[in-house]
Order: sequence, then structure tokens, then C-alpha cells
Amino acid sequence: MGFLWQQYIRPASLVEALQALCSASGPACPIAGGTDLILDLRQGRRLPVHTLVDVSGIPELIALEERGAEIFIGAAVPHNRIINSPLVYQYARALAEACDLIGGPQVRNVATLGGNVAHALPAADGAIALLALDAFAVVASLDSIQSTQALTTSQTRDVIMTRVPLLNLYLGPGKTALKTGQLLVGFYLPLAARGQGSAFTRVMRAQGVALPVLNLAVGLSREQTIITDLRIAIGPAGPIPLRAHAAEAVLRGRPLTSESMAESETALLAETHFRTSPQRATAGYRQHLAGKLLAEALYTAWERAV
Amino acid sequence: MKLSINHRPYDIEPVPGETLADLLRKRLNLTGTKIGCEEAECGSCTVLVDDEAVLSCVYPAERAAGKTVLTIEGLSSSEGLHPLQQAFIEHGAVQCGFCTPGLIMTAYALLRRNPDPSEDDIRHALKDTLCRCGGYPSIVRAIQSAAHHLRTGKPLQPPILVKSHGRSPLSFDPYFLEGERDKVGNCNVVGTLQPRPDATAKVTGAAQFTDDLTFDGMLFAAVRRASVPHAFLRQLDLEEARRIPGVVAVLNADDLPGAKNHGLMIPDWPVLVGVGERVRYVGDAVAIVAAETQESAQQAAKRIEMEFDLQPVVSDPVQARQPGAPQLHPDGNLLKHIKVRKGNVEQGFAEAEVILEHTFHTAFTDHMFLEPECSIAVPTSDGRMEIYVGSQIPYSDRAEVAAALGWSEDRVRVIGQLVGGGFGGKEDIAGQIHAALLANATGRAVKLSFDRRESLLVHPKRHATQIRVKIGAKRDGSLTAVETELYGDTGAYASLGEKVLTRATTHSAGPYEVAHVKADCYAMYTNNPPAGAFRGFGVTQSAFAIESMMDMLAEELCLDPLTLRRKNAMRVGSVTNTGQVLHESVGLVECIDRVEEEIRRLSPLIPPNAASLRPPFSPLKMGRKGVEKPEI
Repeated sequence: MGFLWQQYIRPASLVEALQALCSASGPACPIAGGTDLILDLRQGRRLPVHTLVDVSGIPELIALEERGAEIFIGAAVPHNRIINSPLVYQYARALAEACDLIGGPQVRNVATLGGNVAHALPAADGAIALLALDAFAVVASLDSIQSTQALTTSQTRDVIMTRVPLLNLYLGPGKTALKTGQLLVGFYLPLAARGQGSAFTRVMRAQGVALPVLNLAVGLSREQTIITDLRIAIGPAGPIPLRAHAAEAVLRGRPLTSESMAESETALLAETHFRTSPQRATAGYRQHLAGKLLAEALYTAWERAV
Repeated sequence: MKLSINHRPYDIEPVPGETLADLLRKRLNLTGTKIGCEEAECGSCTVLVDDEAVLSCVYPAERAAGKTVLTIEGLSSSEGLHPLQQAFIEHGAVQCGFCTPGLIMTAYALLRRNPDPSEDDIRHALKDTLCRCGGYPSIVRAIQSAAHHLRTGKPLQPPILVKSHGRSPLSFDPYFLEGERDKVGNCNVVGTLQPRPDATAKVTGAAQFTDDLTFDGMLFAAVRRASVPHAFLRQLDLEEARRIPGVVAVLNADDLPGAKNHGLMIPDWPVLVGVGERVRYVGDAVAIVAAETQESAQQAAKRIEMEFDLQPVVSDPVQARQPGAPQLHPDGNLLKHIKVRKGNVEQGFAEAEVILEHTFHTAFTDHMFLEPECSIAVPTSDGRMEIYVGSQIPYSDRAEVAAALGWSEDRVRVIGQLVGGGFGGKEDIAGQIHAALLANATGRAVKLSFDRRESLLVHPKRHATQIRVKIGAKRDGSLTAVETELYGDTGAYASLGEKVLTRATTHSAGPYEVAHVKADCYAMYTNNPPAGAFRGFGVTQSAFAIESMMDMLAEELCLDPLTLRRKNAMRVGSVTNTGQVLHESVGLVECIDRVEEEIRRLSPLIPPNAASLRPPFSPLKMGRKGVEKPEI
């Protein structure tokens, strides 16, 4: 069995963290809240690590602030801070709602939004909300291992910061595209303008702290009675969080009526691939829920978009 | 690393892989912080780090460097208990006490943020700090009372008591039925505040459960379990395990000095399954290890090589009774055929105007006590063995440990420890015998503690059942006959299966007076985990079946379900299915009256004589908070 880890490092800056990840004398892994990671290590669901690099003390990763026309949320910001942030409540309501349902109260005090995304599960509540809110992720790496210079948007010392669409971080269920030596820094979300609103909703097993049976988030813009634009995210409806493009297309440019919503539901069911998971729900049950969740989130987001 | 724990500065050398819970419990001996699941689910390990509640079982100790940690031991001061601790005592919010430190710490963190929490706020904060004894109402009241005191400086509000004399402050007096109070006379205890004797120790973290104890030179044990449901053990290789550094003893069935089997009623449960012998469930023990550290013991147990001849699995009690099913015990798969006969059901059904028949199924249920099993065996200098264990039946433990050691009972002393929840699940042998065998072989104290996984795997469950109910009634609702056929899954071993399923059978027509009853129960061995005692003791299952049937019958007859029950309820003078005449204090009709009162109080919209009291099914509302289905 041995130790869960040999070395625990608490770097104070991004450079230190990246260097620690690259120079560790065995397999290294960043740790933020660790509420999933420690269990995965203990229960053998993950290859053993030698070095854990604790990113919870790096200023950039624990920032939560307005930056220009965007909100920045550091990857190591715990859910609890997101839930209680007036900024998030005002501009990214779906995210506040999602984070408030992750784990239990004690877990939310340490578990982070970055961990929720880096864990790469297709129905992570935080990730589903981020996807509907048009979030971009920022990934840091050291100069030497970054090859695609074209993507570079900013540079501090040897650290390269890359802005990537959220879904680019996903390879498959539980498989992140983040490589060793890369660090998830945080997320940029556009500040919601007038006429924009968002909502998150989910169904889970009673009393459970585990993953949802099904979750869904909507971010939409409206002009009077017309939906001018929207984003729908749902999970688990495939190997990675799903953007429901077809369901969105049906509603774009139309008012929210029972007809348009029914058409959107039909489109949603055609583009989702629900599976039966023995612990949580059957595909049929998920199919039954999807339309209800869609209606609920659409209606709430619509009401908020004033 | 430097950190503050309970207002004291510490400078501690970090240990690789150490969680905050391990640091607190194992290195600093602050054992008030409990480990219930080690999976970030139960909240027993909650402590405060920099004023926020965290789960110390998944919190790396090194992460607390430079931070301020507060545990249950740091809550009281020289001035006395913290108001939360005092309120938990006064409000009876302390039962088994295992979850209490976590609950108090979670509540403490809540009150730091929110000095005036509503009941909803409290329940939200406690969502993942579980009390399995089910004491939430008193826990909520205790927290509210402490909050009020902290806010206003006024004395702690005591719980509302039902006075033993004088007017009751409640609308009814739960302790006495009309007219019975006089028989009891003046009570000095009933209806007065009586804090439980161990409450103070339980709210301060001073109360020690078995896993909190250590002894000089104590070894740690681990068990190699079969992990297959049905097989013959063909080969066993212990050599590699013996070579693991720190391993002191590895034992298998060949090393058993006394009885080969244990069991509460029937000794059919192998202490260790030997080569050539039958494995009957995944939790069967094949070999045991004692080592200097828990890690070495677990590593060694994993290195024990087993080879099996796998056998077809008997997975349910109906299959177990079919001809040709693999036979699991020398006398076959039938543990017991339990029969109840009263009157003549053929005649009863002939008299019936309505006959319904339905088959119900209930699943295995786990007790999920928050304290996983732990046993410590300590050999004494005068050649006896002491067993420290939180057990529901210490005397039976003594008999079974003595038998397994081949000793007389007076050489074994079971020193009962606090039981961190039992509910029937701590009646059978868990690790008591294995710890004693290893202590006997090594001459040293041996601790065998289960983690949550092993606890779930090994100990007996509530019996899964299949119950067919055939019920006959007149149009006016009076029952004429009830016939039941039960299949009880007692799993791999008997445990208390015969007793539990006897209760299930005798109660399978419900608490109703029926002239003609026929009940048959087949208590069957299968390759499932053993089933044994569990709150309700068999009646939970048969009550589910018969009460579901009564609702179906009420619907069929267009009768109010409560009216139907009242009509058939046993009263003083009734004769039960087993011929017992009930002479006094049956209480069922009064109980139904109270239930109806409560139903109507909580749901004033239900019309009198409603044909069905079932709420409309709404999947959208399940397990979610405060979201209503939108009406568009």
C-alpha cells in the first residue's frame, strides 16, 4: 500500500508550481481541494503519485474578480466562495446554483471549480454551468514545453498563459486534456449584460452527495419576447459535457412558448445519448427528465433575463 | 510545519501521505475527531480549519501548515462547556455519540457565519454530517437553543418537557393514555430532564470508542477475504505475505486451536475457510495477518494468494429452494420452514366478497452505524484474554471467542466499549475472534478495525424477502382470511435468521384480527451476505407487504385506508395469529387515531374519507431543494 504521496509542496507562485510539477522525482499532480483526488488515490482509481503540488496558495488561482468585460474565477477558488460572491450571483447565476449543489457543505469549503473541470466528468455541475455561460479556461505552462506559440495571449516570465474553449479540456469521461506540466489557472466568463440570464437545474438521488442523475444549464439573451441567443449544456449525455446545439438552434430568434419549447425538447432528445448507469438512473429515466429540466432552466433563465 | 491546534502552537514534522484526521488521531491522540467512512460522506471527521468546517479524512495534514485548526477537544474552556456542548446534553441530542463531535463542529462553524440560523439553515449545514441514530429534531433544537443563548446572553432554553403531573404543554401526552396517569402516581423521573450519564464525555470528545484505544506493543490486523460468492478454496499461499516487513503472524484455518465455526444460533459460519472447504459469500475470511503497522498488515493481506474452484451462485431464496439448486450447507439450503396456522383459510376465502393477491419484494438493507466495527484483543499476564469491543451482545462474544480459542469462558473477558450505533448489526462476531486468535499467537495486543468497505462487506444485513399476500374481505372491509408465503434470504449463514423470520411470519397478517390465517416462511441460505438482526426484526418486511396490501384493498373497496385498518385492528381481547389473547394495552386504535390527527394537521386539504392518501408522484421534486416545476 505505502503512502498516498511522498512529497507535498505548497508553492507560492505559478512559476514555482509549474517548476515543481516538471521537476518532481516521480509522478506529480496538482492538488486543489483534493476531495476527489485523495479518495481516488486511496481507493486505487488513480495511478500512485509521488508529489502533490498544492495550488491553493497561488494568488492568481484564488482570485475572483471583474476583469474588463469579464469575470475571472481562479481554478482554486472553493465552491463556497463562488456561492457567496455577489459578482457571480449577479452575472453568472447558473454557476452559483451549480456550485451550491456540489458535494456537501464541508466539501464545498475546500473543493474547487478547477477540480470540478480538471476531473473531466461529463456531468460535473460546475462544468455544465460554465459551458452554458460561455466560459473560457486559462491554462499555464512553462515556456519550454509549450509548442503552439500562436495561441499565446499573454506572457509573464517563462509562464505561458493560453486561453482555450472549455470543451478543449476534455478527452473523455474522467480524462482531461491537461498534460503533466500544465496547470489550469482559472476561467473567464463574459459579464452578463441587460437582457441576459442563466439558470442551472439538476436531479440527483435523494440525500446523495454523488454525481447528478442529470443536470442542465441555460444561458440566454432576450429582447423583449424573442430569444436572441442561448447556450444549453447538459450531462451526462455523452463522454464529455454536451452543448445542445440543435436544441439551441430551434429557439434562437423565437419567443419562449410551449410549442418552441416542445420542439427544442425533441431536438435535445435527438442529439443526446443517455446511458443507463447502474448506480444512478436508466437511460429512459434520463430521457424523461431531460425535457423537464430543459423547460425548468429555460423558464428560469428567461425570467431572469430582464 | 507550524500550525495552531486548539489554541496551541505546534511544530510538527510532516509525514508523507498523512491526512489531518490521522495527524490528529494517531499522532496527537486527539481522538474526539472520528472516522466514520473515510470517503468524505459522513461528516464525523469534521474539524475547523481557519474557521471553516472541513472533512479531515480527505484533508492533507500539510495543507494545514500555517493555519488554525479547531477540534472538539478545543471547544470547551476553563470556564466549562461551550453552549453548543451544553445544549446537546440538555436537549438529548447525544445518543450513540459517535457523530456528536462532527455535528457540534459543523454547528459551531455555522454559528460563526450565521448567529441566527433557521431550521432550514441548520439542516442545510448538517446535510453531510450524519446522525444514524436519527436524532435530528433534538439536534436542531439544541443548535437553536445554543444560538439563542450566544446571541442574547440569556440562559440556554431547556427542551419542552412533558410534565409527569400537571397540565401537559403538548396537545396530547405521549407517555400516558387517558386515565392511566393515576395508576402510575407521581413520577420523579418520567417527564423530567435526565441527561444521559455519558453525555458530557461524548460532547467533549473525551468519550473513547474502541478504535480510539491503544495498548503497549499493539499490533494491527488485516483479514484476507474470499471476494468470491461461492467456491471451494483450492490453494492458499501465505509465504509472500509472511515476507512483508513488519508482519508478525499470518494464520489460516490450519492454525485454529478451537471451534472451527461460530454463529449466534447455529455454528455454521467458518472462523476461517480452509483449503478444500466451501466459500459461501464474498466476506468469508480465509487468512488473518498481524503486523507492526496497519499499512504492513493490509499490504500483507493483499499478497496472500488464493485459488478457487468457482461454483454456481445461489443468489436468491426462491432459487435456493428449487430442486437442483446447489446445496450450500450439509443439511441443504433450508434453514427453517416456519408455519403459522389459525382457523381455516379455505373457509375464510369462501366467505370473502373480495380477494386480492400480490407479491412484494424487499431488498437487503445495511444498518450503516457510523462507527465501523473494531475489536482489540489483549492477552493478560495470567493467561487470559481481554476483548475490547463495542458489541451489542458481549456475553455471546465471550462464549464464541472462548470456543474459538478452545478455552473455558472464564479465561475470556469482554470489556464492552461504547457502541457507535448498532441497530442489530453489532450482534454477530465481526473481528472479535480474529483479533483474539492473533493476540494468542503473538502474545501481543492486536487491533482489528474495519473500514467502511469491509464493514459493509462482512456484517449481516436486514433480510431481503419475497412476500406473497392473499387477502380476503367482506365489502364492508372486515377481513375474512389472510394467507402469506414468505421467502427470507438469510444469506450465507444463519445468524439470527430463524428468529428474525419467525417474527416476520407471525406478523405477516399485520396487527389485524383475522379469523383464518395461514403463513409459511422459507428461511433460505444463499450466497448473499448473511442476514441477521436489524431494527424491526423481520416485521419491517412483513409490515411493508401487509400494509401495502391493506392500501390496495382500501382502494378496491373504496374505503378510507384508516377506516379499513381501524375496522380490523386488534383490540383488548383479540386473539393473535399464534393464539395469544391480548389482555391489556393493545394501543393500535389509539395509534391510528393519533396518526390520522397528524395527517390531517399536516395536510388539511385531504378530504375526510379520502379513498387514498397517497401524494401525487412528482419525480421532479425528488432530492432537490426548493425548485418547483414551472407553469408556463
